Amino acid sequence: MITSLQAQPLIQIDDIHVAYGAPPKTVLYGIDLEIQEGEFVCVLGQTGCGKSTLLRLVLGSERPCQGHILIEGREHLRPDRSRGYVPQKYSLFPDKTVLDNITFGAEVGEFSLFGCFTPRYFRFRREYRAQAMDYLRRIGLRESDASKYPDQLSGGMQQRVAIAQALLTRPRILLMDEAFSALDPGTRKEMQRLIRELWRDTGTTILFVTHNTQEALCLGTRVIVLAKESPDSGSRVALDLRIPQPCHEEEIPRLMRKLERVSSNFPEADPQADEIHAVR
Amino acid sequence: MSSGVFAIHAKPGRTTALALSWFLFAAGVGLYFYASALRHRDNPEDRVTPTLTQMARGMYDAVLHPAEDDEPLAEGASWMETVRHSMLWKDTKATGIRFFASLALLLPAVLVGLHMGLFPYMGAFLLRFILFFDKIIALSLLPILFIAFGIDELSKIMLIVIGVTPTIILDTFNISRAVPGEQVVKAFTLGASDFDVAYRVVLKQISPRVLNSIRLNLKAIMLFLFAGEMIASTDGLAYRIALLRRHMGMDVIIPYVLWVALLLFLVDFGMRWMNRKLHPWFHEA
Repeated sequence: MITSLQAQPLIQIDDIHVAYGAPPKTVLYGIDLEIQEGEFVCVLGQTGCGKSTLLRLVLGSERPCQGHILIEGREHLRPDRSRGYVPQKYSLFPDKTVLDNITFGAEVGEFSLFGCFTPRYFRFRREYRAQAMDYLRRIGLRESDASKYPDQLSGGMQQRVAIAQALLTRPRILLMDEAFSALDPGTRKEMQRLIRELWRDTGTTILFVTHNTQEALCLGTRVIVLAKESPDSGSRVALDLRIPQPCHEEEIPRLMRKLERVSSNFPEADPQADEIHAVR
Repeated sequence: MSSGVFAIHAKPGRTTALALSWFLFAAGVGLYFYASALRHRDNPEDRVTPTLTQMARGMYDAVLHPAEDDEPLAEGASWMETVRHSMLWKDTKATGIRFFASLALLLPAVLVGLHMGLFPYMGAFLLRFILFFDKIIALSLLPILFIAFGIDELSKIMLIVIGVTPTIILDTFNISRAVPGEQVVKAFTLGASDFDVAYRVVLKQISPRVLNSIRLNLKAIMLFLFAGEMIASTDGLAYRIALLRRHMGMDVIIPYVLWVALLLFLVDFGMRWMNRKLHPWFHEA
């Protein structure tokens, strides 16, 4: 089983090249990645290095100039149900209550635009709501929050709901774009614990974009660092690091230094620099 | 002068603010009646600045009697029938029907704007043409409309449609373009189809803003409606105002102008109330 999965990765990124604008400015080039089912991949890089672009390519909302992205061996040219999405902002529909937000995926899946007027729809809604309520409790919301609108919730709560909304349609891949970057440190820690838990329980493959090294290290089973070789060139994979599981606390400072050096000094990073950093 | 009445940081008390806000009303009314009293001292039959009693009598006739050009009321009619045959009621009804018919015709405009904002092919197809159309001054088309559609209801409603529709389309287009892309992508990842995104996500989200935009265009709608009615009509509030001008009937014109303002205020207020009730999640920025 494992060997067959190894043969066909869940996400295969094949020699991607992306450029924007006129004259074209390269953002990403020569990206080759294979992501297996069940991995928790953190994409790390400085602002503007193209990590969100990479995520949007996997999402299908953008297309590469060259290369392919295969998901389960197939090219997906637009976002669909197989990949859930949790952005940093605007992750919830402001006009729907928390409960309606969570059940939206199931509703559009089952009922077309005109289907929402049939009695079957209301029956379905009632039944599904009970299930959604259970889920809400699991991610740490109270029953009274269900009828609130998103802007009545704190940022952390909003992201909890957004994660629940994305996971309730059971996608195989969850794409998170700086999902916790706007949260305060305490809430962020809680959310990191929650997403690790959900990842372990559901076995969803997660692609998590962040600029925070510590976050990448404590979440991921694998950290991919994107960096530019020179200010004018596009970004490449500077480092593809598998994090030993479980990651020991004392390992983190050393790994952090290593990652930050790679990210800021690519491609001159040399192994000797590790000690220099440590002395400082 | 860092503190004082005209400073940015000045804080008028509640009573002061209330009194100030009503001051111009009181001054306007006072000035009018002062001028009216002066003119009436010279000429008791003055029609240019009618007194309160003259206006009350004029309106009393307007509410309780049919217009001069209308057929007279049957003998022994009930109170309800009297009002229903009165000049004011008939004029208001005629204008109201035209007004709400043109409001209803704005609904397709909203849908066109939504589709233009969401579907790139629709946008590419329509945007330039509507931008051009928006620049045409609708009133200058009035003669063409009268020639093309005749001088009955259709040309008046077409005038409103041509005058206001491009604005509403472009407004809706801009509002739907301003919906964050994340929302659309998110809806797709939850399994929504194109039409689910258009009607269940974007239209629902933009509807309070679109309603506000229509509300701000109410005056334009009324303006076109009044222009059409004044030039070619046999009933309606603006027709009456234009007709009474010939008789110097200021005792009815002034109450009519205030009546129209009141009606427009009520429609505006109703739409604001509806917006709050329908979209409790919406907070104006």
